[in-house]
Amino acid sequence: MTRRRRIEGQETRWRGLGVSEGIVVGRVLRVFNGARQVYRATLDEKDVEREVRRLRAAVRLARMQLLAIKARAEKELGAEHAYIFDAHLLMLEDRKFLQDVGRHIREDRVNAEWAVKVAADRLLAIYAEVKDDYLRARGSDIEDVTQRLIVALSGERHSYKKLSEDAVIVSEDLLPSAAAELDFEHARAIATDSGGWTSHTAIIARGLGIPAIVGLRDLHRHARTGDRIIVDSQQDVVILHPSDSTLEHYKSLEKRTPRTNYTAAEDGDKPLRTLDGKEIVLRANVELPAEYEDVRRFGARGIGLYRSEFLFSHKRGMPTEDEQCKAYIEVAEVAGDEGATVRLFDLGGEKMVAFGAELERNPTLGLRAIRFSLTHEEVLRTQARAILRAAARGRLDIVLPMISDVMDVRRARRIINEERVRLESEGREVGGVRIGAMIEVPSAVMTADKIARDVDFFSLGTNDLVQYLLAVDRSNEGVADWFRSLHPSVLQSIYRTIDAARKAFIPAVICGEMASTPAYAVVLLGLGATDFSMTPSSIPRVRRTIENVKFAEAQEIARECLECETADDVEELVRERFTEKWRELFPPKSLPAPRVGG
Amino acid sequence: MIERRVTVTNRLGLHARAAALLVRTANTYKSALRLERTDGTASADAKSILSVLMLAASRGTELLATAEGVDETEAISAVCGLFAEGFGEGERVDKA
Repeated sequence: MTRRRRIEGQETRWRGLGVSEGIVVGRVLRVFNGARQVYRATLDEKDVEREVRRLRAAVRLARMQLLAIKARAEKELGAEHAYIFDAHLLMLEDRKFLQDVGRHIREDRVNAEWAVKVAADRLLAIYAEVKDDYLRARGSDIEDVTQRLIVALSGERHSYKKLSEDAVIVSEDLLPSAAAELDFEHARAIATDSGGWTSHTAIIARGLGIPAIVGLRDLHRHARTGDRIIVDSQQDVVILHPSDSTLEHYKSLEKRTPRTNYTAAEDGDKPLRTLDGKEIVLRANVELPAEYEDVRRFGARGIGLYRSEFLFSHKRGMPTEDEQCKAYIEVAEVAGDEGATVRLFDLGGEKMVAFGAELERNPTLGLRAIRFSLTHEEVLRTQARAILRAAARGRLDIVLPMISDVMDVRRARRIINEERVRLESEGREVGGVRIGAMIEVPSAVMTADKIARDVDFFSLGTNDLVQYLLAVDRSNEGVADWFRSLHPSVLQSIYRTIDAARKAFIPAVICGEMASTPAYAVVLLGLGATDFSMTPSSIPRVRRTIENVKFAEAQEIARECLECETADDVEELVRERFTEKWRELFPPKSLPAPRVGG
Repeated sequence: MIERRVTVTNRLGLHARAAALLVRTANTYKSALRLERTDGTASADAKSILSVLMLAASRGTELLATAEGVDETEAISAVCGLFAEGFGEGERVDKA
């Protein structure tokens, strides 16, 4: 063994459990959980109350940090992954815990750090006894919260430096809040010593769509920041200091892995066509600046749906006209020549209670989206002005969410036009915007032909459409069996809407998650959809599918689907026909799973 | 004081998310709210998440909920409602 080789390190392999798919070649970034040594100090009697106040201040600081992390996690990972920080907030403010800590400070006259540690250790000891695996694992949440509190006592905050382009996070166990504070844009993969399929690391990695391997025992101890590393979650292996030949092998593999396939953008400029030549447009659904880069990277033709309510923040409330205008200009710039469609605020219900709205018994059917904007007209006017002004600087369209019928469209249009006239009379520059309707409420589907005469385009919000059409709350597990995206009624509604648009010579864009699943995208294609908007990272996958099918064949299958009696029948038909025609494109895993006992 | 029996029906039991929802709800009422395992092994203050988690109530666990105070009727029905709805727990339903 040469000396040089020693320094570089020898190729070593660690076996773990791949919890999020993909292959990445990168460099190690070691992340510590930040556990710190805590010392005991005895206080003078007169300092005790000051120490209690210091504890309260630290709780407030930690609370603010957690609120910020939660908001960020909600935006970047989705609400279903952010709940954990809600639990952290409650733990942080748990009366019993804080009373316990306060009592230690007062009775034992110790510093707050020590009191927190003693109280936490006692809790952890109790949790360690719990028989339930999942709940026992919650011990790590308690550790996370108390660590944060201890750090807050020192007045510091956790912070991670900007990651390099190819950073692979290597950590003992990524505590949820540490994970959420990471610079998501640049993390390419995660490898941790502990954890399992349901650990936060796994959940977050899947949410981000980056590979992750957990259960690597002592990788963290051996890896140094900057070391070359390969993460291959298909083989459940992490390779440290790969040899040149291993490196080369993996670099070619990495290129072929869809997840990290950045080459998709290269042919993004060519129009996408089905095998029989039908031109198809794929746009991006976007809500955060963090996703803007993806629009270009994945070759989206502009932004088909910009969810503007993400500008709204609980801390600062409604964004001002200027703030909005700035944000819309940025969106238009990202979208480029193809333009961006701004969906007016989809606000209301529980989100707005803090701003004086009434708590509704049934927010999904309540005063939200366009109904909210029409009721609080100043909200709509401000947003309309901001968009009209921004449209002078780039191509922007407006889509009205949750339209029930043509009345909603007319009322909103009138207000938008009034603001246009007012802006012009103020001598401000305004741009031309087209105005479209989101078709997601059954009444709008039924009257789509009427609505089509009053708008410039349709956007089909499939998520809400399925929910409203089938009267199924998609977050309610009890009725999960009734939530069927391929229900014949859903397909009929989509077909009917596309048909109404076609007859009125207006475009119809399919937004919503349905389109990002290749099998569903082909069904939608068959129903006549040629314009889709989806999460940018889904675009390469859907693109590959679409360029390998014939429009005419998709139509044939869709026609059969429309005749089906039940969702089960549709799914079975899809399984059969897709396997028959496109076995290569659609492995069984990519098709709707057969229902057991159904 | 009002007592009501509830059963944990959601898949993951009274885990972090469900517990957070429960505690948030409990804290909107004035009444004291407690949950006790019917096997008598543990009881918890429904307004403290650390306490609730320590019930280690997995799916199928039976609990006795009690409320005492001015708004005990509303409080108990809100809490029982959460159990009945399985804490609005949904999994991704779209199989694909």
